[in-house]
Amino acid sequence: MTTLLVLLLLIAGAYFVAVLEAWISNGRFRLAAPLYATIALLGRESIVPRKPDRIFFEVGPVLLLLSALLAATVIPLTPDLIITELATGALFINAALVYVLVALLMAGWGPDGAYAMIGGWRFLGQLIAYAMLIVMPITAVAMRAESLLSTQIVVSQLGLWNIIYQPLGFVLFFVASMALAFLPPFDMMIAKGELAGGVEAEYTGARLAVFRLGRLVLIITLASATAIFYLGGWQGPWLPPWAWSAIKILVVTATMLLAGRYMPRIREAHLLSWCWMLGIPLALINILIVGILVLEFP
Amino acid sequence: MIAGARLATLSGLRRLVALSMAQDLGVYLIPGPEIAGVYGLDIEATGMHIVASPRHASVLLVVGKISPALCEAAAVVYAQMMRPRVLFGIGTTELSPLPEADILADVSQQGLMEGVRRLRIALAEGAFNPAVSDFDAPMLQTRIEYTCSMHPEIIQDEPGSCPKCGMNLIPRDAQARMMHAHTEHPKMEGVDYSGMDREATVEYTCPMHPEVIQNEPGSCPKCGMTLEPRETQNTHHDHAGMSHGDMGHNDMAFMSMIDVTMDLPRSSDGLPMDWIDVPFGPFFPGLPGGLLLTLTLDGDTVAGSRAGTMTGNEPLLLQSAMDINKFTERLAKLEPLAPVCYQVLACLAIENAGGLDIDTEIARARAIAVERERIVSHLGWLALFGRQTGFDWLLRRATSLQQDFLHADIKQIVALKAAILDLSGRLQHTPLLKSRTTGIGRLGADTDKILFGPVARASGINNDVRNNDKIYGDLGFTPAGGKDGDVRARLQLRVDEIGHSLALIEKAGITIDSAMSACHVFATNNIDEASGDGEAVIETPRGLARLQLGLENGRVKTVQLATPSTFHLGLIEKLTAQQELGDALVTVGSLDLSPWEIRL
Repeated sequence: MTTLLVLLLLIAGAYFVAVLEAWISNGRFRLAAPLYATIALLGRESIVPRKPDRIFFEVGPVLLLLSALLAATVIPLTPDLIITELATGALFINAALVYVLVALLMAGWGPDGAYAMIGGWRFLGQLIAYAMLIVMPITAVAMRAESLLSTQIVVSQLGLWNIIYQPLGFVLFFVASMALAFLPPFDMMIAKGELAGGVEAEYTGARLAVFRLGRLVLIITLASATAIFYLGGWQGPWLPPWAWSAIKILVVTATMLLAGRYMPRIREAHLLSWCWMLGIPLALINILIVGILVLEFP
Repeated sequence: MIAGARLATLSGLRRLVALSMAQDLGVYLIPGPEIAGVYGLDIEATGMHIVASPRHASVLLVVGKISPALCEAAAVVYAQMMRPRVLFGIGTTELSPLPEADILADVSQQGLMEGVRRLRIALAEGAFNPAVSDFDAPMLQTRIEYTCSMHPEIIQDEPGSCPKCGMNLIPRDAQARMMHAHTEHPKMEGVDYSGMDREATVEYTCPMHPEVIQNEPGSCPKCGMTLEPRETQNTHHDHAGMSHGDMGHNDMAFMSMIDVTMDLPRSSDGLPMDWIDVPFGPFFPGLPGGLLLTLTLDGDTVAGSRAGTMTGNEPLLLQSAMDINKFTERLAKLEPLAPVCYQVLACLAIENAGGLDIDTEIARARAIAVERERIVSHLGWLALFGRQTGFDWLLRRATSLQQDFLHADIKQIVALKAAILDLSGRLQHTPLLKSRTTGIGRLGADTDKILFGPVARASGINNDVRNNDKIYGDLGFTPAGGKDGDVRARLQLRVDEIGHSLALIEKAGITIDSAMSACHVFATNNIDEASGDGEAVIETPRGLARLQLGLENGRVKTVQLATPSTFHLGLIEKLTAQQELGDALVTVGSLDLSPWEIRL
């Protein structure tokens, strides 16, 4: 029952992200647009390119969706609304999202097109940049909660949200999340102006619908993760817990979608060097500061 | 009914699907959004959205007349689109080998809107049709051609043996070399190293200092060790022929990466990879439509490049001598991205040939028309830059400003000054913009002599012909300048020039109507009897264009045109070499090439 409810909420969230994304990009707020787009995609031809790596081509989009859904299973929307409460919850999110890379590599290689293939490999380069910046801030969050249980992490922020307790970690995690969800300015793998759509370019019809749904669910999952790790999850005055979860997730999503609009795409080489030369030292400092805080002011 | 309908009857649930399709229109633009921009068409205002891949489009929108070569390329794009697909022609009907357009409209926003309305109805009613026939065109057939693995220049339609070495020719897909979206993985076939072939020779290198390489034996200048001989690159790396020397891919149980990549040519990053040729264009979303750029990629590093245009270089003069009025119109039509400049250029050259003095008022009015076009053109470039780099805000802002300027009179232009200042200020403080553009595609003032226009001025070369123009001098013209010569400098320079042109227009105080009409009249009426040779230059938004022509009894007899894009095209190969793909594309974009004015 909970599973079904969470899945429904995720789909609703993904739908909302689609509306929001279109609103931000073309200034038109049309509630029905994603519905039309989905039905139209399902009604259109869906073809397989001439010489595909068939298994990779078919599995890629599905795996992207599965990976995002899997990560969502350990995210508590209210104290009770969580699919499975794993003792390693916080790490599980990270583990599940690694398959985003596999999915994009498969989807890039599968159709046998140059644009898609370059897009897929670009994401591998991106993973090398952002991966540590997902794990290391989570480490600091778990240190404060003294637990990897995602519900425990929310409870640990009762007095003070992590965004204030460890702002450095928040910024790093937020940026790394955007890179993981390949949102602009980290959208090198599906860049329109550089790769004519890249990984997405050869997908059509129902397969494209699955790919896009996977991306939307990924965004909403990462926004939810940000909300429970740094914004105190369901906590807040006056409103019921589910409402607070919804508000926080929407605010994070909107911020993620808006940010990329006001800057050009990042260069791959710069992303790598900034992540490793700046991001990782900062993440270590963050762990150190949180460690001291946890020890001195328990 | 639409020709690209899906083969099925329209019934039950499909009605609903067809209605949804009519609401969700992804459009792929031929030749490109920048042409729609200069024609004053606002595509997104119709509710359609521009997509980057033909696979995601349901509407193919052809704007204006295009060359036969572009029509053929458009036919391939059309074939790549998913059914149901609609062909929408604006201001053109000659689309063969494409099928007849499903919807036709005039070149105007009203025509576009009306066309989209009819398009929605046609799609809702005819998305599924049991009586539709398949689209087929000669260039869509897979053609097998035969080539020699040792002599790639040998290509023939039938199997046989190589006239040079007698080897059996091997088959390959002729189309794969040419068409977008059909590029092959290196693991499979079709990798074309023909540009990279080298003779097998022996060179000498030091075992301790691999950077020391010479053609003759000797000792290392660094450590004095005796140099060791080694064989350089294999003659031909043609995977299609599986001529991978003695290492057969299939019968080896174990392959070390070193063995596999040993013979491959290397790029500057030292990582040996399979090289692939990837076409960008003629309708690539991040480049001007009509420009054909083929990059040889080594991973994501550019190892080589070829650039050209597919807009069709029609001769400037048709068979016989041409009426001067017709000639100016023709020249203007040849370059849709800067028609006013070319019209003025034609007028100037004709007047020069006829030995006429140009009235100051007219010259001044023409200058204003040219300056407004410069603003429109630079804004169009900014929009393209935004599209290419995913800078969504800039794309939308520049596109809408371009539309504002396109038909603005002097009052409106002056009123837009604040918006331009705001745009310029924003670009100063945009995060990532500086790191994205600085140091890329650098052109030095000393090394490259054949630079024109903004590209030259951004490198600190001041060869702007407006400097010596008295009209401009009277208006207080100061040329914009830069010195770094990289993409950043070119971006900044174009933004500065928008401001300068605006100031010129404000100062001149001539109404746009009279400015535009000045581009159509000649200085005097008795030019009809004039004969002689003449020459004129003009500073177009892309740089100096030079027109030489011969008049005979008021008719244009001979003509010769030199354009900046023609020269700048030659810079691409050097500029993109060994750059990362994204940087290479930004570099090519920053040259602001107009495929329409390239004359090879």
